[in-house]
Amino acid sequence: MSNPSADFLALLQELTKRQVDFIIVGGIGAVLQGAPIATFDLDLVHSRNPENLERLLFGLQALDAYYREHAETKLRPTTIPLAGPGHHLLMTRSGPLDLRGTVTKDRSYDDLLEHTIEVQLAPGLTVKVLDLSMLVTLKEELGREKDLAVLPVLRRTLAERGKA
Amino acid sequence: MEEPGNHSRTSPEHNPPEPRPTHSEDGVDLTLIRWMLSLTPRERLETLQNTIRSIERLRHVQSKC
Repeated sequence: MSNPSADFLALLQELTKRQVDFIIVGGIGAVLQGAPIATFDLDLVHSRNPENLERLLFGLQALDAYYREHAETKLRPTTIPLAGPGHHLLMTRSGPLDLRGTVTKDRSYDDLLEHTIEVQLAPGLTVKVLDLSMLVTLKEELGREKDLAVLPVLRRTLAERGKA
Repeated sequence: MEEPGNHSRTSPEHNPPEPRPTHSEDGVDLTLIRWMLSLTPRERLETLQNTIRSIERLRHVQSKC
């Protein structure tokens, strides 16, 4: 597998430029809200409406995306699997990208929208991020060791944000 | 009545602020959280990317040893 340097800003710029509807969930969403954690991939929940899937697919092509588990054959994502609720572990020229049709309790992009905040990263680059409170809820629901391990930092960040 | 210029050194305006705890009871480093919160979202993202690059450099050096 090639080893591209992570450039999450470039990745977000590419998708935003193509007006792809997505929500940043996971570690990078937490970092954007001030949590001092390290993560190596960008986790997004994408809208699965057909027009958005088309824009997403063009964005993924521009990013040279392929499935990390199929690096040798460079298996590319296609519309039909992306329309499902599953999880797509991709590598792009700007680093690892995980796309999710749904998160816990089958929550989709539309279900999560009310739990998002908008974060401006640059002029013309505003992204939707799952709010820290909901991110804590998802991690609690997932209940895996790696999710539970990060919960104290997320909870304390939430508390410190409340004081600010 | 207190005379002008005769404030007690223990009056509230001369008290140094209560030192804030550096860690929570469950061991989380609160100084890192406060530092991250002092940054803009873009700076936070850049900090993360710098951290990843730094870890990757360390891995690279380690693999050569």
